[in-house]
Amino acid sequence: MRKSTMIVTLVVVLLFIASWIFKTMTAPEVDSTFDALTQGFLVTFAAFLTLAIMSFLYQDNPFYKFAEHLYVGVSAAYAMTLGFWSTLVGNLFPRVSETLCGWFQVEFSGQHDWQFLIPPILGILLLMRLSPKGGWISRWALAFIVGTTAGLNLPRFLRSDFIEQISGTFLPLLVDWEGFGHFFSNLSLSASGQFVAILSNFVIVSGVICGLIYFFFSKEHKGAFGSASRYGIWILMITFGASFGYTVMGRISLLVGRLTFLMDDWLGIISG
Amino acid sequence: MRMKLFLFVLLALFMTAVVVAQEDTEIDSVVTVSPPAPVANLVGVDTPNDNGHSISLSWELSPDDATLGGTVTKYVIMRSESADGPFIVRDTVAAGMTKKADNGVKEIEAEDYFARNTDFYYKLVALAGDLKSESEVFGPVRGVGQWFNTGKWSVVAAVGLFTLVTLFFIRRAKSGAKLYIRPLAGIDAVDEAIGRATEMGKPILYVLGLGTASDIATIASFTILSRVAKKVAEYQTSILVPCYDPIVMTIAQETVKTSYYDAGRPDAYNEDDVFFVTNQQFAYVGAVNGLMIREKPATNFYLGKFYAESLIMAETGSASGAIQIAGTDEVTQIPFFVVACDYTLIGEELYAASAYLGREPVLLGTLKGQDYGKAMVIASILIGIGAALVGWTGYVDLFYVGP
Amino acid sequence: MSGIGVYISLFLIFGGLVTILVYSIKGRDVDRRIIFAFVFFATATAIYYNIEFKETPTTIVKNVFDRLESLPEGSKVLISFDFDPAMKPEVFPMANAFVRHSLVKKHKLYLMSLWPQGQALMTETIEDVIKVEFPEVVYGEDYVMLGYKAGNEGVLNVIITNFRKMYPSDAHNTNIDSIPLFDDVKSAADMDIIFPIGGGKPGPKEWILFVGDPGQVPMAPGLAAVVAPLIYPYYPRQVIGLLGGVKGAAEYESVLRSKYPRFQDVPAPALSMMGPQTLAHIVILSFIVIGNITFFMKRKKANA
Repeated sequence: MRKSTMIVTLVVVLLFIASWIFKTMTAPEVDSTFDALTQGFLVTFAAFLTLAIMSFLYQDNPFYKFAEHLYVGVSAAYAMTLGFWSTLVGNLFPRVSETLCGWFQVEFSGQHDWQFLIPPILGILLLMRLSPKGGWISRWALAFIVGTTAGLNLPRFLRSDFIEQISGTFLPLLVDWEGFGHFFSNLSLSASGQFVAILSNFVIVSGVICGLIYFFFSKEHKGAFGSASRYGIWILMITFGASFGYTVMGRISLLVGRLTFLMDDWLGIISG
Repeated sequence: MRMKLFLFVLLALFMTAVVVAQEDTEIDSVVTVSPPAPVANLVGVDTPNDNGHSISLSWELSPDDATLGGTVTKYVIMRSESADGPFIVRDTVAAGMTKKADNGVKEIEAEDYFARNTDFYYKLVALAGDLKSESEVFGPVRGVGQWFNTGKWSVVAAVGLFTLVTLFFIRRAKSGAKLYIRPLAGIDAVDEAIGRATEMGKPILYVLGLGTASDIATIASFTILSRVAKKVAEYQTSILVPCYDPIVMTIAQETVKTSYYDAGRPDAYNEDDVFFVTNQQFAYVGAVNGLMIREKPATNFYLGKFYAESLIMAETGSASGAIQIAGTDEVTQIPFFVVACDYTLIGEELYAASAYLGREPVLLGTLKGQDYGKAMVIASILIGIGAALVGWTGYVDLFYVGP
Repeated sequence: MSGIGVYISLFLIFGGLVTILVYSIKGRDVDRRIIFAFVFFATATAIYYNIEFKETPTTIVKNVFDRLESLPEGSKVLISFDFDPAMKPEVFPMANAFVRHSLVKKHKLYLMSLWPQGQALMTETIEDVIKVEFPEVVYGEDYVMLGYKAGNEGVLNVIITNFRKMYPSDAHNTNIDSIPLFDDVKSAADMDIIFPIGGGKPGPKEWILFVGDPGQVPMAPGLAAVVAPLIYPYYPRQVIGLLGGVKGAAEYESVLRSKYPRFQDVPAPALSMMGPQTLAHIVILSFIVIGNITFFMKRKKANA
């Protein structure tokens, strides 16, 4: 271990202990689930993990790696435990075995439903992946999953993402049309106004059609077709921009969430 | 003794008073409040497009319904197997509702079992506090299962139409017909980018993404990889393919090897150029980023399935000064590639590029089928807009999908 | 006192940005860590001084509010917690706002999750919001916690026809038939409104595809910002409205507060996040402007 690494580790450990002691002394007593010592540890540990992950912004380091691996491990274990209790104990055992129900203290459904044994068999087949020789058997279960998912999804996607979307584009290009005189005399940029309604319908319809034209590969994009395709790619780029903007907003929200935790729950320095 | 008699009389008087008082209140209530008016025209029909374990009921509201300013707060749906009863409670609906389906399950042993092909009789009870009034009994009516859900014919039609068009074009492509595909900007840039790497004497980095060998994007990427590898072999430069999935790696090795053979330079092929890294998302990114910084490839290709790592890799590549060509069908990742790469194949363009380069009949036919599908969509939207303009609802109804 | 602090901090941030502009015009590269530091400092300042902005709801958010508002008392509301702690700051305020609004309107609440970590967050809502702010509501009669169920869209495909098949019991392993809330509920199609909250897979999109469209149930998704643009095309036919990211949540909180003064004093995390959010956005926008100025200046120099 390098000397600088040792110093940093020592400082982190000392800060951790200091924070633990401080948070234990200032722990609110309202929380009855944990005693003050545990509460102090939990807040300090959460703050440590947050800072460890954030330290990646400076550069990769052992604290980051520790926090990342811990996160991956804990969420996998949590999902597995919850899956066991909600799926096996919650859904399967009450339908197949009275003895197991008694063991896990859940109510038995009253009758044995043998068709519910098929899913666990498929599950065991999936686990055969771990065996170097019998690995191929898992493909049967995988084939079942891929096949049923595709079959389930096809009609749903065609309905919601295709047919409903096509008929959703059947928009009137002239909303509340009562002639040009009426249109110009009521011209306004208000969101509920006629002009904006007509404009948005026009953008949606032209955007969908020109976007489709951009993805039309059987004809060279020249002339009017080329213009429509260029308009299509503009619309696509604006969409990507909006999407990018939303992503930035989302990431900042997460930062705000973590900073609020650090400044309020851990350091307790927020005013007001 | 006297005392006992006195107590007895007192008790008797008290009891009488209680009874009289009770009778009084009963009489009072009968006099002042009358039961609400019942619902009228209760009708039940077999629920269409279902498995037969349901009957749809409709009725006209009681004139005393709460939503009409009356006292009826709810209706109880009751059912029997004969007109004379006994009736059992099936469901309760709030005031103001005029229809409800009586659904049950198909398992015969279940509590909520609903028999198919059995005559049922219904009546509706309007409730106003403790007071109630019953409608006339409707029946018999029976639930019948249907083989086809006619509400979804438009979905079937869409599937059928597209399958036919696609099969037609695959057949044409197989029979050797020349199917035109327009050139794509990103593909034209491929040769130029390889040329640049050769001039600079630096390797080319080809990333297949995080997809498995069964993802369409990865399959499309293999076709493009074979073209790139062939050019690389011809120009005598080198290629690096770090892989995320062991199966993908095996296929990539075969692809590159075949390309080197096709280019007539089997001796130049080095199996270690196509290698497995790890199948941990961010560890993989770290390794690829390290590769970019150490080897400084002149050209980076990111073609396939990408998730959160897209921007991290593309940003590092951009900082290292390489020409970057990306393509993915993951819509949420395209914006990141667009900002950080020189050329981006957007969604379907990735498949198109693969069909354009590979000329494989199935890919080519599918692409053509999709093109004609898009043309049909554009046509139906244009007709739909016309229909919306002139108020032709029959056309819009064609696109209705039932439950 | 805090007023002066705010001004000093803002002066430091924007003074720094101008310095960077000058620095980069001179042709020097700006290390990415400097950008991180600026965003961090701007966000922290706004959090520290509790800078808040007023929110006016957009139509797409107002539609959701109005629909829940107009449902008659005792309507059935399902909220699905399809997210994990990583998404929590964005979408958890939405879940709590929907819970508050539903309970104050005396609707029946059904809570479930398609994500394992969603169940822990659901418990947090029950402990911190329902039990504290609505002590009068009764478990099983006014709200029920169905918990997490594995199976992704498969779960949705089953509950659209039969709830009991997927959820024979609630999260506490109580038989569902003994819960009064399920007396007149057979499937998810019996719900009067569904709020799928999340941003991954399975999430709001799967809810629309597998429950909203086939069951014709009104849907009002609460979305993590990343996926919001992907769900917009479903508006207004397939979803009645939507809440996109923390901005959508803040709009909902503000309209809830103005309609129900009792929520004036309960925390509105999304509203208080909008201050830091705005300041951080201004910093990012400034960096985009600086980047573009230097890019075009460099290009001009190269052409000359």
